Amino acid sequence: MGVQPAIVSAGFSEHASKRSDVNMAELMNEAIEDALNKCNCTIDDIDCVINGNMPAFEGANIPELWMTDHIGAKNKPFMRVTTGGTTGGSVAIAAYYAVASGLYDTVLATSFEQQSCGSTTVGLSSVALGEVSIYLQLGYDFEKLRRNMGAGAAIGIGAYQAINYMRRSHCTEEDLARVVVQNRHNAAKNWWTHLKMPNITIEQILETPYISYPLRFGMVTPASDGSCAMIYTTEENAKKFTDTPVYVNGVASVSNENAIVAPEASGCGQIDPCEQLSATISAKLAYEQAGISFPEKEIDYVEVYSPFPNQEFMWLERLGLFEENTAPMQYREGVTALDGDLPVNCSGGVNSTNAIGASAMERVAEAALQIMGKAGNQSPKEIHTAIGHGWGGTINLITLSVLADQPRRKYKGGI
Amino acid sequence: MVRLEYIKKQYTRTRRVHGNWYLASYQYKFNVKRINQCLEHLRKGELVGLKCRSCNTVSFPPRLICPKCLKMPDEWVHLRDTATVATFSGTYAQEAGDTEPRPYPVVAIRQDGSDTTWLANLPEGYDFFKVYVGMPLKVKWAEDKKGDFSDIEYYEPIEDPSIEMNKKEEAEK
Amino acid sequence: MEKVGIVGYYQVKPETDIQMSRPEMIFYAARGALDYAGLKRDDLTTVISATNDYYDGKTISNCFTVEAGGAYLKDESKVEMDGAHAVNYGLMRCLSGHHKLALVWGASQPSTFYYSCIRVLENDPTFDRPINLLNDYTAAALGMRAYMNKFGVSVEDIAKVGVKNHKNAAKNPLAWNEAQLPDITVEDILNSEMLSNPVTKLMHALPCDGATALVLAPEGLAKKIIDDPVWITGVGLCQETYYLGDRDLSISVSMEKAAQKAYKLAGINDPRKDIDVVELFEHSAYEELVLAEALGLCEKGKGSSLSSEINGEIPINPSGGNIGAFTPCATGITRIIEAVKQIQGEAKGYQVKDANRAIAHGQIGFCAQNNIVFILEGGKR
Repeated sequence: MGVQPAIVSAGFSEHASKRSDVNMAELMNEAIEDALNKCNCTIDDIDCVINGNMPAFEGANIPELWMTDHIGAKNKPFMRVTTGGTTGGSVAIAAYYAVASGLYDTVLATSFEQQSCGSTTVGLSSVALGEVSIYLQLGYDFEKLRRNMGAGAAIGIGAYQAINYMRRSHCTEEDLARVVVQNRHNAAKNWWTHLKMPNITIEQILETPYISYPLRFGMVTPASDGSCAMIYTTEENAKKFTDTPVYVNGVASVSNENAIVAPEASGCGQIDPCEQLSATISAKLAYEQAGISFPEKEIDYVEVYSPFPNQEFMWLERLGLFEENTAPMQYREGVTALDGDLPVNCSGGVNSTNAIGASAMERVAEAALQIMGKAGNQSPKEIHTAIGHGWGGTINLITLSVLADQPRRKYKGGI
Repeated sequence: MVRLEYIKKQYTRTRRVHGNWYLASYQYKFNVKRINQCLEHLRKGELVGLKCRSCNTVSFPPRLICPKCLKMPDEWVHLRDTATVATFSGTYAQEAGDTEPRPYPVVAIRQDGSDTTWLANLPEGYDFFKVYVGMPLKVKWAEDKKGDFSDIEYYEPIEDPSIEMNKKEEAEK
Repeated sequence: MEKVGIVGYYQVKPETDIQMSRPEMIFYAARGALDYAGLKRDDLTTVISATNDYYDGKTISNCFTVEAGGAYLKDESKVEMDGAHAVNYGLMRCLSGHHKLALVWGASQPSTFYYSCIRVLENDPTFDRPINLLNDYTAAALGMRAYMNKFGVSVEDIAKVGVKNHKNAAKNPLAWNEAQLPDITVEDILNSEMLSNPVTKLMHALPCDGATALVLAPEGLAKKIIDDPVWITGVGLCQETYYLGDRDLSISVSMEKAAQKAYKLAGINDPRKDIDVVELFEHSAYEELVLAEALGLCEKGKGSSLSSEINGEIPINPSGGNIGAFTPCATGITRIIEAVKQIQGEAKGYQVKDANRAIAHGQIGFCAQNNIVFILEGGKR
């Protein structure tokens, strides 16, 4: 039962704050063409298309309906999967299951975001809009609530995590800035990224003003336009399409309870926002599927979803790659640099490029390209096993894909 | 304002078509029936939380569903009026009277006796840099109670014995 | 394809303005489905939801229903289409061998927003939306006119479909109260409010609040849970192009392709003989005819002469179909549940005799742009 899925290609569009030269469909098409050009596969070989984006930012509901022709989905099975910030990761996982179920052979997974054509603030504030209106009904003061919600949006959640993480690990703001510098330097060497800053220093970042303590303007993710496409297929087909297939050996997308803000259904005691139970459980499930027993030894390359620098520390620890509270030290020693023992986010990460719907898929795509040896900013290290991680919702949903250059030999999990 | 330089590429502009997404026309439903008992107690100056019978999790403010058991909790338990800061952040805002943006504390509070957190207020103008995780607080009730969450006017910081103990320990060293 | 069993289901009674919050409604559906199967929440391994951010007025609407939908610390995902598409994803997850129990639910509350306004946001934003002529009513009217013209079908023939569905809905306790019209006539339908000529209000599906959930389990495990699970033996999915001008609206290419795939997987050669009951998701009465023809149940253009009453040759929508209760995002799951009830013999009052193999269908987009077909089988034969 179950087919071994493989990735044969991954493509990107160029990312920028305003891709004013294309519309959503054309932007998506750029990535698909790039992906198809990188392997011996044509659009006719595709059996099924799965797409996703974060719906609120463009003001278009189910845009895939009118984008059908642009994404090559005409007269083909098509499915739309969205889970907010993790959309890309969820789409990649849906493509995995589409192949693993045996229903479809070759699946095109795509995701995009064109934030410049809508309002990101409107999109993000409407995350909690329903909850806000209910809070007001229950007698909250609007002025105070406005301030609270200002800190409760995505950046605020990042700030909560940063405060708790800094308290746990005693890391400093300088440590946070170091992560940013590493990411932006990496981004400068990668062709499709947004914030290319080849000469930035820690001091420059620490001079920028605070947005939400302890996060400064220079530390946070930009808003980008961009898209990403990947081609999943079966083990047999993979060898036809490319010489360097990458096998997907484990996936998980575990959701925790909702963040602090919602009064209605949510909550069962999430006291510490950097505890991240869902990441720990996702890692357990995915590693078990992939047959990984010692992640810190067996995993060679990591792409984590970290819009804010403190999250990079947090995820690396929760995903079992470093001992608790030691990640800042590893960054200081250069373990995670391009030529280090465990390269992290050589693509520049979400910290440099954030086309929200596509971001989580870009993590998986970059991890796959690093194994293939075709990445824009290729690590000199030989990479056999890599993970691509995604984070979204209101800090609650984690997606994780474990990739390797060998198919999994025996699978013990599940049923 | 410090500017960070990055490599930019210029793209040509296409034609723009205007469109709208009306957000304001939704009417979210909230079943206040399930929270009425808590509001009644607030009017009397009491705090109650909802307890799930199968996993003993207490939520304050009361929450509709226990996610662990997928059941509706229905047992009301009384809570103390003290609380602790679970986590906090600060928004930099320039309110009326401020000469420049300053941090306003935003705190997530865990009521003692409950297992959940919620966003509440500290006294107006409280110094952001004095807030820390684990800070003990006490409910300050409003003068005239209306039977909603505004009856908790704010949470007042109270004396923290652990600070004294820490100081003593350090002095002994 | 290996079989996947449906071991539990629950439907919250659809209402015009349901007196529940959204998570509450979802909770009753999810809990009900688990209770039907007699399982704990802990047994679940994956949860798939079908909601739409625009219908819920919330970005990332699924993250507010993690607790209510039973997804806390479970492998979760969301399909932003019809509920039937979410069932397809749940099915894929079961077939992959990684999951032993999948909960699929769909829900929406159209009473909280203007449904037609939100449907307009599905248009091409650079062309169709500024012109502001295409919406769900006009799309249905264009399709209906194209169908009537090509095959010489009269308005009365199409109104008959509405009559049948409203009458069937009257027998179904879980249909929408306002669609339960036991004494309706063709004249009533034709004289009801004109939405967009020739579509009148009573031949169009009007949205109402509701939530549905069902539980899927792979073949080996389904029999451990209940004695007579209903099996999904085939599934087909297809999307055609968007622009109405590029399509022949009097036929449904995507439905034909989806049906062929599903028939192939289920080993059905002559659908007319092999299928006992059909549950279709029709936005407008004429779609039922177009879709039934695309399923191969009759020749093209002859849909109106097909005997599709509850005691007819091939009963279509004995539950009242989508006209009987249209709960956006949930209705595809409702169609599957109704087909399951027919196979299990639990459709009291509208039971089709000796039903063992059924078709359930879901769709999304204007004029049924994206269709999904499920073949369901019982263990009787």
